Amino acid sequence: MIRYILRRLAFFFGALIVASILIFTMIRVAGGNVAAVVLGKDASAEAIEALVVEYGLDRPLPVQYFDWIGGMLRGDLGQSFRTGESVAGLVVSRLPVSVPLALSGLLLAMLIALPLGIYAARNIGKPSGAAVALFSQIGIAVPVFWAGVLMSLLFGVKLGWLPTGGWIPWSVDPVAAIRSLVLPVVSLSVVLAAILSRYVRTAVLDVMNQDYVRTARAVGMTRTEALIQVGLRNAALPIVTVLGLQVAELIGGTVIIETVFSLPGLARMILANVAAREVIVVQSTVMLIIVFVMVLNLIVDLAYGFLDPRIRTAS
Amino acid sequence: MSEQAIDVRDLVVRAGGLRAVRGVSFAIPPGGRMGLVGESGSGKTLTALSLMGLLPAGLGATGRILHDGADLLTLSDRRFSNRRGRTLSMIFQDPLSALNPVQRVGEQIASVIRRHTGAGRQAAMAQVVDLAAQMKLPRPEEIVRAYPHQLSGGQQQRLMIAMALSCYPQLIIADEPTTALDVTVQREVLRLLSAAVDERGSALLMITHDLPVVAAMCETVAVMYGGTIVEIGPVAEVFRDPRHPYTRGLLDSQPDIDRIAPDGSSRLESIPGMVPPLHALPKGCAFRPRCAFATELCERMPPLEGGARKAACWHPVSGPRGAAP
Amino acid sequence: MTEAADIPAAPRRRRKLNVSLAIGLVLTLSFLGIAFVSLFHLPGDPNMPDVRNRLLPFGTPGHLFGTDVLGRDILSQLMMGARTSIMVGVGGASLSLLLGSVLGLWAASAGRVTDETIMRTADILLSIPGIVTALVLAATFGSGAGTTIVALTAFFTPSFVRVIRSAAISVLVEDFVTAARLYGRGRLFILARHVLPNIAGVMIVQFTLYFAAAILVEAGLSYLGVGVNRPSISWGLMLSEAQQQVGVSSPLAMWPGLAIVLVVLGLNLLGDGLRDVMDPKLARRGA
Repeated sequence: MIRYILRRLAFFFGALIVASILIFTMIRVAGGNVAAVVLGKDASAEAIEALVVEYGLDRPLPVQYFDWIGGMLRGDLGQSFRTGESVAGLVVSRLPVSVPLALSGLLLAMLIALPLGIYAARNIGKPSGAAVALFSQIGIAVPVFWAGVLMSLLFGVKLGWLPTGGWIPWSVDPVAAIRSLVLPVVSLSVVLAAILSRYVRTAVLDVMNQDYVRTARAVGMTRTEALIQVGLRNAALPIVTVLGLQVAELIGGTVIIETVFSLPGLARMILANVAAREVIVVQSTVMLIIVFVMVLNLIVDLAYGFLDPRIRTAS
Repeated sequence: MSEQAIDVRDLVVRAGGLRAVRGVSFAIPPGGRMGLVGESGSGKTLTALSLMGLLPAGLGATGRILHDGADLLTLSDRRFSNRRGRTLSMIFQDPLSALNPVQRVGEQIASVIRRHTGAGRQAAMAQVVDLAAQMKLPRPEEIVRAYPHQLSGGQQQRLMIAMALSCYPQLIIADEPTTALDVTVQREVLRLLSAAVDERGSALLMITHDLPVVAAMCETVAVMYGGTIVEIGPVAEVFRDPRHPYTRGLLDSQPDIDRIAPDGSSRLESIPGMVPPLHALPKGCAFRPRCAFATELCERMPPLEGGARKAACWHPVSGPRGAAP
Repeated sequence: MTEAADIPAAPRRRRKLNVSLAIGLVLTLSFLGIAFVSLFHLPGDPNMPDVRNRLLPFGTPGHLFGTDVLGRDILSQLMMGARTSIMVGVGGASLSLLLGSVLGLWAASAGRVTDETIMRTADILLSIPGIVTALVLAATFGSGAGTTIVALTAFFTPSFVRVIRSAAISVLVEDFVTAARLYGRGRLFILARHVLPNIAGVMIVQFTLYFAAAILVEAGLSYLGVGVNRPSISWGLMLSEAQQQVGVSSPLAMWPGLAIVLVVLGLNLLGDGLRDVMDPKLARRGA
């Protein structure tokens, strides 16, 4: 188990280094002169030169890279070229929107997908099971922004229960904040749940066809007992793996849903900065998102090792 | 009701529109031992799974299976479950895949004991350690705390046997219990199985294609082909003087170590042709296309007839083996 | 399961598979057909504003699906959107398939170090969300169909590498490959002659499913404004315009969404159907 953990940790840090180099290279090297990009086509040579000097963009790239990484480690994510705001401040101000949205979206998706997938697996070959499978198949095909549009159309416009967009900060009115998160979270999780429930169904089907489930039945468990006591414990392994892979999907969905419901989250901040060609802001924020994804993946990997005695007991 | 450990009457297993098992009847008395032999696809595993009520989805059994005062085929899943592992039990071919990979083997066995006897956690665990010791496992206290992947195939199968026998069932079904094991440990596992079955007075249904195992362990033998029993009777008589041409072919295709000629001139007989697939079974006797004695008469299904030993053949062969053409 | 040969497959399953394949095929072919027609004929100009005919309803003669807030013909825009979806989807999925096959086959047939290097790199790339790659690319190179295809390729290739590598390995351990090696056949010969034909099914299925995924991602990026821009037209872009200009209750927000769902559903059903038909295990059980 210790070797497994060490290997995972080594991969985690290696992956962070590789990803940071990739992003840095893509933005600084492939993108050309950053100052020219930021200031646009009409900028004068003097203005570009001034920006280059101010931000040390004329230094060798490795120096700039380590400068950037060093800053990140100290919590200094750099500044916006135009407004001079600190990126860290920008990010922190957006987290209260994005983090609850992403995490409750994932949680709700799991709460929907687990029972649904198990139900579909247990009723395979019956109309009820086929109906669930069809729901998943259609749900996978629905783009998350359209799900958001349909949700706000139904619950916001037609029924008038919930706001169709906008944001009231937690500090002003927590209830209103929650109300403005409900539709985004539901839209996000419905689409994620459609994808997840298919994996859950497959995992449960696979496990229920294993010999050890037959053994459990052969020593007296009913179908349901065998599913709960033996099947789910084993199906948890592939499901946990899939959850890790879904994190990337979750981030994409969150970015889009924030736009659909005009939530002032991280994604919208990045999009605004992409449009403004604020490459430093984009570079640092994107790196933060990757750190977040990789931490979640690391947790998933460690959970897997803990759940599977074949890994846990390996020396 | 029947006094037998198990009494199977006209069992039919249907898969879609096809019949994979086509009217099988046999009985095993309390403490009796029967071997069920046949090639893959002959229906022997499906027969066993029917007795356990564990047929794969999409397959259904009809007929009567009398056991412990009830017709198993009429029981609800809950009431049938209550009998599984308690009055009848089964040992599978591949012990590694048959044991739950994420639970300690001792806990798996203990949960069976607790389920059927109501014993407490510690009492059940003590019984498990005793069972492991009976199965001649070294350091039983430690071994029961292992996960399946940490044990050898022989150890896994011995624990599997311990689990199946933990509640003193009236009938044990063993489906190729040693096929997946190393040849060197097969004998020991069979010896332990035999001893444990004896001690509990359980009846044994041994499914195998290994005829010497049947000869060593069983009193009666049933030979299956194409979903039916083609010959059934006391092992000694059937093996010495097989009536059905298929039984004879099966026996002749066994390598016999005593008859291997030192000059390498000994021949291994084989049955010509292949087992027909289910959807292409011939009319009448299923063995007809491969049988040297087949006539027009064989296009009608031969009945399984006789006294203590029966054969389903219109042209039964006779005479001790070796004399056949 | 032990003794699988002893247990016949229930015949019911096979009938269901064909339904999935048939519906998928019909939806996909109609989609391809509409895009093909759009190359030769569009009912109107998808980018030409016409202030006198703004927001015409569905069923108006000359504008079957109506017009948008600037009076542009919706049906023409939808047809152009199909073309974009195919261009970006096929582009992204083909490039990923090409790169993924080369790297996957290389990893499968090369030594441990090469294999580990390729696979760990794939793992790292897999944990970078596709939308992040797209945003970075859009920030540096500007948005457009080309950027979107590059972003999709970066995002999808690791999955292709994984799938193709594992399929190739399962072929490489077969006895006939060992035999070919004993005859002195070279690596490239074995890969081309033995491995490729045996994993072609896996590659086709993977391509179909990622074609669908690419359409979804492209629509999402265009919706965000970092994908396809006018004068090109994407369904995601249409939806975004509709939402911003006339609100979600407009039927203008329905058509592009519905188009995406039908096309992606069709491709996914087709992919699943093909997989079930080509899966050697299922095929053997059906025999």
